[in-house]
Amino acid sequence: MGKDVVIEVRNLNVNRSGALVIKDANFEVLKGDYVGIVGPNGGGKTTLLLAILGQIPKASGTIRLFGKSVESFDEWERVAFVPQDAINFDANFPLSVRELVSLGRLGRKKIGRRLGKIDWDEVDSALEFMGLSEVADRRIGELSGGQKQRMFVAMALVRDPDVIILDEPVAGIDAVTQEKFYQKMSDLNQKRGITIMMVSHDLSAVFCRMSKVICVNKEVNVAEIRPDVDIEGVLRKAYGEHFHFVFHRHECKGEFKA
Amino acid sequence: MIGAVGAAGLNGIIESAGLTGFISPSASLVELLGYQFFQNAILGGLAAGFACAWIGLFLVLRREAMIVDGVAHTAFGGVALGLLLGIDPLITALGISIVSVFGISHMKRKGLAESDSAIALMLAVGFSTGLIIISIAGGFSVDLFSYLFGSILTISRSDLLMILVLGMVIISFLTIFHKELLAITFDERGARMMGIPVNAILTMFNLIVAITITLSIKIIGIILVVALIVIPALTALQLRASFAKTITSTVLIGLASVVAGIMVSTFYNVATSGVIVFTMVLIYLVTTALARRGK
Repeated sequence: MGKDVVIEVRNLNVNRSGALVIKDANFEVLKGDYVGIVGPNGGGKTTLLLAILGQIPKASGTIRLFGKSVESFDEWERVAFVPQDAINFDANFPLSVRELVSLGRLGRKKIGRRLGKIDWDEVDSALEFMGLSEVADRRIGELSGGQKQRMFVAMALVRDPDVIILDEPVAGIDAVTQEKFYQKMSDLNQKRGITIMMVSHDLSAVFCRMSKVICVNKEVNVAEIRPDVDIEGVLRKAYGEHFHFVFHRHECKGEFKA
Repeated sequence: MIGAVGAAGLNGIIESAGLTGFISPSASLVELLGYQFFQNAILGGLAAGFACAWIGLFLVLRREAMIVDGVAHTAFGGVALGLLLGIDPLITALGISIVSVFGISHMKRKGLAESDSAIALMLAVGFSTGLIIISIAGGFSVDLFSYLFGSILTISRSDLLMILVLGMVIISFLTIFHKELLAITFDERGARMMGIPVNAILTMFNLIVAITITLSIKIIGIILVVALIVIPALTALQLRASFAKTITSTVLIGLASVVAGIMVSTFYNVATSGVIVFTMVLIYLVTTALARRGK
């Protein structure tokens, strides 16, 4: 029996400002997948994510989340999204890290509900998992870039989602912090079984840690990350034939998924 | 003439109520608390101070503070209409405030005008409506000015009842929905994606803003209501604390300013609304200075 399908995209076309940005996309994301979305700037990665999340209309095709059409999908608590610009918030906003993460417990089915002990336990557990317990009472504006990203993942985690979708979560963050972040996401995927979809320009991280790659440059090509798959060929379709990609799988420190 | 009732403190009230000889201008606080008008003032002031401060923090964080000034001035037209028709002016002011706040929101949402332009338009329409009604009625003497500048020391039992009921509506809304409102204020798009019914909550919030402004008119007046809503939040934000501490500080500053304003204006016989605003500004300056020194 096959794995549960989390996201199913069929014959998807998406226009933005009158131009075709996603052309005839077809792919599936299965439960437990760790998916990297790569492609050149302006290629349509964010557009694809926003279409999947029902935030922008599609021109044609179907998007199904957990078997339901995105138009009628109403279990958004199962899906957590960390947008590209999440960390660019007002640094003076009066919220502690713990307070912000607790907002992740809100949702359509919990309107007006007081947060109880279970909620706060979830918040503290997520903060601990993301290594933020020591800064839990600090104001959100006082955190470093890497801490802010982990804070938003903690906010996503307290929703107890089945899938977390992240749009360039480590953009502008130093290499060491990026590596720690990818490690945390691998832990989430492997230890908690959470399906992860992440836009990233770090091709090494994608091929060392993730199980599937979606290459987006108007056209969408998908490949399992396995030794027998011609990853370079898939990437060339997104980035262009004149690019050469050299992967040193031995540098993946034993974390290559295949 | 602005009128002793609208602008003066205890002596004005004593004289206008024919109470001269009953209350000494040097009456003690305990004596004052025995008088109905003083009890009404304190209760009404606390209700308005609490509601204004709480709603004010959200308005400041949403960068919508000036909507208060616009809607309050529009409410002037509603007050004038109420006086002309012989209806309780607070009821007509509430109706006009609701129309105004939704009008501003609609213009912003539909891209008809930026926030400041939409506020300016509503303010001008509401205020000029009031002026036309006044000229048609041949003037309303002292009554209208008591709404412009506030007359907390003369609020009646029926005014107080209305203020308390409206205050309960506001506090109930904020108690139930403040977390959702906080999530929307921090990141509206993110809140939508989390499944929070953003449009419904913002519609209710607009309604609550209109109610808050209306209940504050008798307390501090149309002209200065923006101060009661904005300054406590602005002061608390200087503390650079968590949301829980910021909202607590905001409300305490609002309540302390109103009570101090009523006390000082009563004992020194000066305009209550003016003293409330000066108290708030004083707290703001001291807080800002201490916060900067502590950096």
